[in-house]
Amino acid sequence: MVNLAAAAPIVTASFLASAVEVVEAFTIVLAVSVVSGVRPATLGTAAALAVLALAVAIFGPLIAAIPVHGLQIVVGVLLLVFGLGWLRKAVLRAGGALPLHDETTAFAEESAALAATASRKAAEWIAGMAAFKAVLLEGTEVVFIVLAVGARPGLLLPSAIGAAAACALVLAVGMALRRPLARIPENSLKFAVGALLSGFGVFWCAEGLGVPFPLGDWAILALVAVFLLYGMGMAAFVRYVLARTPAWR
Amino acid sequence: MAVITALGATLWKMFAADLFLTLGALATVAGLGLLLHFAILPARQAPFVLAAVILGVLVTAINLAMVKEIRKRIG
Repeated sequence: MVNLAAAAPIVTASFLASAVEVVEAFTIVLAVSVVSGVRPATLGTAAALAVLALAVAIFGPLIAAIPVHGLQIVVGVLLLVFGLGWLRKAVLRAGGALPLHDETTAFAEESAALAATASRKAAEWIAGMAAFKAVLLEGTEVVFIVLAVGARPGLLLPSAIGAAAACALVLAVGMALRRPLARIPENSLKFAVGALLSGFGVFWCAEGLGVPFPLGDWAILALVAVFLLYGMGMAAFVRYVLARTPAWR
Repeated sequence: MAVITALGATLWKMFAADLFLTLGALATVAGLGLLLHFAILPARQAPFVLAAVILGVLVTAINLAMVKEIRKRIG
């Protein structure tokens, strides 16, 4: 029986993290589709998904061979690296130190780059490769997140369900709108996902080291809340410092 | 070749691009493991020490990145 306290944040983390990655990949595939046609976009996407499926088929079973404590430490560190990285970037963006990621700009830049090669013989190949790389890059992150977040007995399925739901939702909305999903509050999502992954990372590192937190799986929620509040405090601190830095204004 | 390049770029983006956080997380977990192994740190305090040090790593990484951005702006 999967514990609700553990499964709910896993589905949420997997869903939100995957949604961020799928939105980014969708923007590039859409640009390829609009500028160079549906064929290179479809072929590039299908090839990348095939490579990802192959990678999962090869490396997935290896995970089962790692002892549980060792796996928890490896996964915990992986989640910390992901989560802290996302949280750091989200805090800097929320604080104004970094510009916000804009899907409309990303779409325009990719379209312009593809249009510049549209007259060449190899234009379709380049467009297909652009879609391939985008899906492979973002897809690899989704695979890592699904495996890392769900790397505990019985939790891989909730993790995969979260990611699949995110893919389905982004694709459904994207196909209906046929334009970049610029309205999705990407930085807020990254903020939340960074806190979720960091919380899981600390929890699993502690379990892997044999020193679990009190309260069992409920400690995950407490850790996520701590990272969220801490991140919000740091974003306010960054805003405060930048507002008082004459060179920044 | 393109597949290998794309995968390499992904792994770089995921782990090596933010070397401070990657090394910070690894060093924290390894250090805690050593402290526990030699019974220097009581096991009951260990999870809280882990969380506190990780938060410290995060704060340091944010401050370093903020200073880097300010320096970039100054030129």
